[in-house]
Formats: sequence, C-alpha cells, structure tokens
Amino acid sequence: MKIERKIILLNAIYLVLIVIIGGSAIQSLNSVSSKQRFLEIADDLNTSFLEMRLSEKNYFLFNNITALYEIKTNISKANDVLDEVKDDIIPVIGESGYNQLEKGLYDYNVAVTEAIDNDSWNQQIADNIRAKGHDLEETSSRITKLEREHISNIINRSKLLLFSSFFAVIVTALIVSRVVSRMVLKPIKYIELQARSIAAGDYSKIESSIRRDEFGVVIEAINTMSEELEQREEELIQSKKLASMGVLVAGVAHELNNPVNNISMIAQTYEEMYDKLSPSQRREFMEKVDQESERIKQIVDNLLDFAKPREPRLSEVDINELLRKALLLVQNSLNVANIKSRVELAEGLPRLLLDENQMQQVLVNLFVNAAQAMRPEGRLTVRTSLDSENGMVEIRITDTGKGIPSEYIPHIFDPFFSTKEEGGTGLGLSVSYSIIKSHGGNIKVDSRMGLGTTFTIQLPVNDQEKGSA
Amino acid sequence: MSHRIMIIDDEKIVGDMAKISLEEEGYEVETFLNAGPALKKLEEQPFDVVVTDLKMKNIDGLEVLRTVKKLYPNTKVIMITAFANLDVAIEAIKEDVFDFFPKPVRIKELKESIRKALIPDDKP
Repeated sequence: MKIERKIILLNAIYLVLIVIIGGSAIQSLNSVSSKQRFLEIADDLNTSFLEMRLSEKNYFLFNNITALYEIKTNISKANDVLDEVKDDIIPVIGESGYNQLEKGLYDYNVAVTEAIDNDSWNQQIADNIRAKGHDLEETSSRITKLEREHISNIINRSKLLLFSSFFAVIVTALIVSRVVSRMVLKPIKYIELQARSIAAGDYSKIESSIRRDEFGVVIEAINTMSEELEQREEELIQSKKLASMGVLVAGVAHELNNPVNNISMIAQTYEEMYDKLSPSQRREFMEKVDQESERIKQIVDNLLDFAKPREPRLSEVDINELLRKALLLVQNSLNVANIKSRVELAEGLPRLLLDENQMQQVLVNLFVNAAQAMRPEGRLTVRTSLDSENGMVEIRITDTGKGIPSEYIPHIFDPFFSTKEEGGTGLGLSVSYSIIKSHGGNIKVDSRMGLGTTFTIQLPVNDQEKGSA
Repeated sequence: MSHRIMIIDDEKIVGDMAKISLEEEGYEVETFLNAGPALKKLEEQPFDVVVTDLKMKNIDGLEVLRTVKKLYPNTKVIMITAFANLDVAIEAIKEDVFDFFPKPVRIKELKESIRKALIPDDKP
C-alpha cells in the first residue's frame, strides 16, 4: 500500500476515534440534561404531593371535608402535569416508573374519593388515605432519588470516558507516530545505506520488489541511477585506458626510436666503412648492435609487464630480509655515487605473503631512483614498521635528493613519465605501482623540493598467516 | 683547413657513428653527450656546422640553436630528433635552423646536408 494511503487511513482511524469520543460525550450530556428536566418536573410534583399531604393533615386534625377537595384538585393537577410531560419523562424513568406514579395517584384519588363519599369520619378510610398518600410520596421520592443517582452515575461515567479517551488518544498518537516513523524512516535508512554502498562503488541492485509504495519508486530510480553510474564508470575507465594507451604508444615510439636509430646508424656506417674497419672494430660494432637490441628488448619486456602483469607467485617472506637483499643488489651503485644508506628495520614484523621477485624489483627500482636523485654524500634511509591498526606493514624509503616538483607528483606513477635526465624508460614506477596494487598494498610519494623524497609502501599482513603455515 | 663539425646527442652511438663517417669525408668532428659542455666549447672556438639532437634534458636542441646563432650567425645548425613535432619544427625554422632530420637518420642524407651547409652564402 502506498504510504500516502497509509497515512490517510491512520488519520481516518484517528478521526473516527475522536468522533466516537465526542459523540458519547454529547450523548452523556443529553442524557444528563433530560434527567435534569425530569428532576425539575419531579420537584414540581413533589411539591404538589407535599401540599396534598398538608391538606390530608388538615382533614385529619379538623375533619374538614374541604381539605379533601383540595387534595382532589391537586391530584387532578398532578395528573394533568403527568399527562403533559409523559413523553418527556417516560424515557427517563421508564414506562413502569410512570405507571407507578400514575397508579399511586389513582389509588390516592380512590381513597380520597371514598372518604368524600362516606361523608362521616371513618378511621379505616382515613388510614387508607394516609397509607396511599404515603405510598405516593414514597414512590415519587424513590424515583427522584434513583434519578439523582443516575445523573451522578452518568457524570462519573462521562468523567471516566473522557479520561480514558484522553489516554487512548495519547497512546494512539504515540503508536501512530511510531508506525509512521517506521514506515518512513526505516526505508529511508535502508536507502541511505544503499546509496552509501553505491558511492563506495557497489553497483549491485537494491531489492525493490518487496516495496509497492513510494519507496519502491525511489529504489527503482536509485537502481536506474546506479546502472547509469556503472555504465558511465565503465566508459570513463575505458576512456582513461585509451588515454593511457595513447601515452603508452607515444612513449614506446619515442623510447624505441633511439635504439632503432642507433642500430640503423651502426648498420649504415658498417656498410659504408666495411673495408676500412678493422676486424676488432667490426666486432665492436656488432656488440653495440646487440646491446641496442637488448635495450629494445628491455623496453618491450617492461611494456609487457605493464600491459599484462603476471599473477604474483606468493610465498611467505621476511620483509626486512628482502630489503637487506635488495639493498645489497644496489650497494655497488650506491658506493660509486658515494651515497650512504641507513636501515631502521622494526623487529618482530609478521612474515608477508609476497612475490619475492616482483617485490625485489620494486625495491631495487626505488633504491636506484633514490640514488639517481641524490648528489654524492646523500643518504638513503629505509625504515619498516607495523601499522597494526590497519593490518599493514609499512616500508619507507627516503632520499635526500632534489625532490620532485609538486606538479609532477600526480603523474609520477603514470607509464612513461620520467624525470630522469637520461636512460629512464618511465615505466619503473608504474610497474612498481601495479605490482604493489596486485599485492593488495598501497604506494604513495611525499616530496619536498631540495629536501628529498619519501616513498611509502604499505603491504597487508596476511590474516591466515598461521593457518597456512 | 678542414671544416669543424660539432655533434651533440645524448645517445653516444649517434656521435660515434657520425664521427666515423664524417671524418672519412675529411671533416674535423667533435662529439658531446650534453649541451652544456658543447656550448662552453663553442664559446672558446667556432664550428662550421653544429648537429644537435632536439630532445635532451637540461638544455634542449632549440636552446643550442639559439645560442649558436647568437654567438656565430654564420654557423649552420642541423637538428635531429627522435620525435617529429610540428610546433618544434616551426620554432626551429624561425630560429634559422639549416636542416631537420627525424630519427632514424640516413647518414648519407646528413652528409649531403652538411656539404650544402658548408657552401658559403651568396649574401655577404
């Protein structure tokens, strides 16, 4: 059901509740007011009954027959009143109450008439009059008393009703607000979560078939948006791939052109000067051709590494040991360049699941870069530490070189981006980057001009280290 | 007196091979891997033709061209480049480059170009 309808329904229920409460309150008030009307009438009747009893006493005291006539007049007046208000009071005191009153009056009237007809004092008739008069008064005051109790009951009941409906309204209000908030907030919360996961790149569809309301429509829209986003992202990735392909191709062309030119020039010179070249010169020429071919092969290999990095062959590796080994490999270059190295390796680091060769390639590459960035007397610092909070081992490689201009930093891992003065293929860092990424790690660079550069590699600590060992 | 040719290219083989071929023609050839020392040498003594690579770190071929033309307006500059780029070519022409060779360089063509470069200008 649509939420709009649900809210309308709830409001309707609420309205009906209020109408019922109001209606019963009005009914109670009506009932009280009609009983009040009866009490007014009853007061009049009681007064006239009282007058009858007074006349009755006069008759007993003075044996005055006129008093009996006064009673009869009053009886017929009372009868008239009863007749007149019959419709008003029957609903209040009921048919039987009315009949009792009427019968009381009738019996009294019969007794009085008997006394008048008898003319002389008769104790039995007098007792009868007294008894009937008493009965009549009793009946009347009993009914009146009963009605007063009724009124008080009705008022009490109305009080109770109003109080309980007050509570009912409060409780319903609480329930309704809770139901509405559940109806509205819960799906909003759900959609918010889904939106966050979309933002995080999870484009899987949200289950929308369970909801037939407005949220179903919203979820439908979000799903469409998510699909769109996924498609756009795909397009973006493709266009970025194409763009880096462009960079790649241009880079390859340029990088290959130099050795190709060298081979071409050697070949031209060789052909032209063949007779004049000594055998050792000819051999030298061919060695150079071979070296230049090797250079081309290196570029192509790097390119293949970049284009299709092979899956890492993982084994448990002591990262500190690997760092020392890699450092040993470049030690000669460091010595030649008169660069000091310092290692600050954290003890007790967990063994990491790494492809040893690939990781060594990365480290050697970074060391060589660092060495090339420095003047003699420079210092290469290698640190390791455990970031247990993120479950990462951190390797920091710091040089005291000239630093990387900040405008180059965003491109430092791009293929064929090189700041080296000569001989850089521009592939080293981009290959390193993809190796680190394929290990589930991160590599970032922080550089200050004139002070030096720090490369930070983070490698994940394998959770199942013990289990697989 | 033989003509003096200067070759600047950060690829050593380019200088080596050009030197062998050009010396065979009777030229006096000096090769440089970096533009810095080459320009220093030029300040000391003139060359008849300067062959320079365009794309070099620090000082590029255009810079060499400008400096040579400032020092010796009569010296001819031939440019070689691994990467043909129209903007750079136009810039080089504006700066009065004598010839422009894309890599791979045909040595015969280079020699022919140098031969033409060494023909004195008609204008004084």
